[in-house]
Amino acid sequence: MTTLDFISVRKTFGPTVALEGLDLNVRQGELISLLGPSGCGKTTALRIAAGFEFADSGAVHVANADISRTPAHKRNMGMVFQSYSLFPNLTVTDNIDFGLRTRRMSKTDRQRRVGEMLELVELTAFARRYPHQLSGGQQQRVALARALAVQPRVLLLDEPLSALDAKVRTTLRDEIRRIQTEVGITTLFVTHDQEEALAISDRICVMSQGRLEQLGTPTEVYRTPTTAFVARFVGSMNELSGTLSGPGEVSVLDVRLGAPHATGATGAAVTLLVRPEDLTLAETGLVGSVANVTFQGASTLVGVRLDVLDRLVSVDVGQGAADHLTVGDRVHVAVNAANAVCETVSQ
Amino acid sequence: MSAYKPRFGRVVPTIVLVISGLFFLAPLLTLARFALQNVPTILLGWSTLFDKWSISGLTKAFDDPAFWPALKLSLELAGGTVLLTLGLLLPTAIWVHMRIPKARALIEFLTVLPYMIPAIALVAGIVVVKPHARWFLDSDYALIPFYVVLALPFTYRSIDAGLRAIDLTTLVDASRSLGAGWIETLGRVIVPNLRAAIVSASFLTAAVVMGEYTIANTLLKETLPRFQRTFTGREPQAGYGLNLLALLVTVLLFAILSLVTKKRERSLISRLSRKPT
Repeated sequence: MTTLDFISVRKTFGPTVALEGLDLNVRQGELISLLGPSGCGKTTALRIAAGFEFADSGAVHVANADISRTPAHKRNMGMVFQSYSLFPNLTVTDNIDFGLRTRRMSKTDRQRRVGEMLELVELTAFARRYPHQLSGGQQQRVALARALAVQPRVLLLDEPLSALDAKVRTTLRDEIRRIQTEVGITTLFVTHDQEEALAISDRICVMSQGRLEQLGTPTEVYRTPTTAFVARFVGSMNELSGTLSGPGEVSVLDVRLGAPHATGATGAAVTLLVRPEDLTLAETGLVGSVANVTFQGASTLVGVRLDVLDRLVSVDVGQGAADHLTVGDRVHVAVNAANAVCETVSQ
Repeated sequence: MSAYKPRFGRVVPTIVLVISGLFFLAPLLTLARFALQNVPTILLGWSTLFDKWSISGLTKAFDDPAFWPALKLSLELAGGTVLLTLGLLLPTAIWVHMRIPKARALIEFLTVLPYMIPAIALVAGIVVVKPHARWFLDSDYALIPFYVVLALPFTYRSIDAGLRAIDLTTLVDASRSLGAGWIETLGRVIVPNLRAAIVSASFLTAAVVMGEYTIANTLLKETLPRFQRTFTGREPQAGYGLNLLALLVTVLLFAILSLVTKKRERSLISRLSRKPT
């Protein structure tokens, strides 16, 4: 069973704290995404797992063995980098063969393994090409094959899709997930792209300022964010100012909303964070006028400027539901605050 | 939209090029005539331009019993200097690039010092330490460390430019994640991708060694430049013939270097200009 554990890992670079006591357990065969803005410590965590950096304190375990001080080349980790990291002087075959040669495998075994990897990433026809003769997407597939060829205990992916254009990115993302599932390898995937993390992960670890903000399945992180940071960072959010009118109840203007996650003293000023799909255009609710209508293919976002709050909110309506709306139309917005995050406003 | 027209057309650049070419070639041609024409200097003119060309001057140099040992020593010194320079400089430059990139400016400054401080200053230092370090300075190969210092301004720049052209950190990390230690990473990843820079640094180092006279003379080592000097004193015509040959060999080596580097640059440009899809 290959698991990867970060145990109270702390890392600083001079006065900057990159990781502040990170605790994370990646289960056997699981793909966890480290998601967060630039500088949140996600790449540092990955580099510590790879052995390129050492933690100031805490430990990293693989399959319950402490590898905190093991040098990178003895960790048996597979890694794919953000920038194309193929060796420019070697062909695709030789790149994939690189790690096998360092392990002193026999020529026959190496050839068989390289062939398997080329088939896995569907690049057999490109075996004799050099990296500069491949597209960005192909290069990353070779990098993935090279990383997997050595049968690593853990696969580490450091924003492998960020240098690719949107279409290739989606295709390769799905391919990475297919291969990861097929091989069944424990994987840590670093990204700042929430859509990518939501699509590919078994669980997502949202990070901010070196700390773990929330760890959960994509659905949990999206539907029930535990902190205002996660709510704002993952997906889009509407912010509604109101007051706590009782336990699990928030008043926005004169509309009372059931918000089970709202806690605090009655009368406290709060901000409710609500997803666009939890707002609907209805007969009653908060009053405002249509500010814009944005067609998004499968759905349409209607921007409504609320009258008294003077705040623009986005309402996600189904296909065709906004066809009759034009800018300036008076509408009512109903709020489902069941999953809303309630943030107390400091006075 | 009209195409850009140079202010002076092509005439002025052509004139400048021709004058520069003449400025460079004329002394070489006169040197060639002096060294390789068996015509008294007073008679060297247009009328004798094609008379009595001969390489007998050169063969005279080759027949001198001191020539081949001097050439051998200089080649050994060049080889030794190249090896020591690369052995010291490559790991240092890689370390600086990977671990302390902010120190690059300081290292550049330090490596340029031998260029600013004349060799004679180094010689003065050698004279001071000579009585205390005879065990070392008596060896012919004692010149190697001094030549390493003299070649630093050229070699460091060359290696540094090569390192800047590759994504060193990522390549090293990739290699290490695949199980390669530092030595294997150096041999299988870094050196092959720095081939042009290493060739360039080696040629420049060899050129410095093959032309250095001051320190060799101070330490009384019979290197090729020292032989050339004494031989030219004895046999001016043949000596200058030898100098001309040394110059032509150097030019040829640099032409080869230029070709190798250009080929590498072209490949790099084509690699960078290919947009990933």
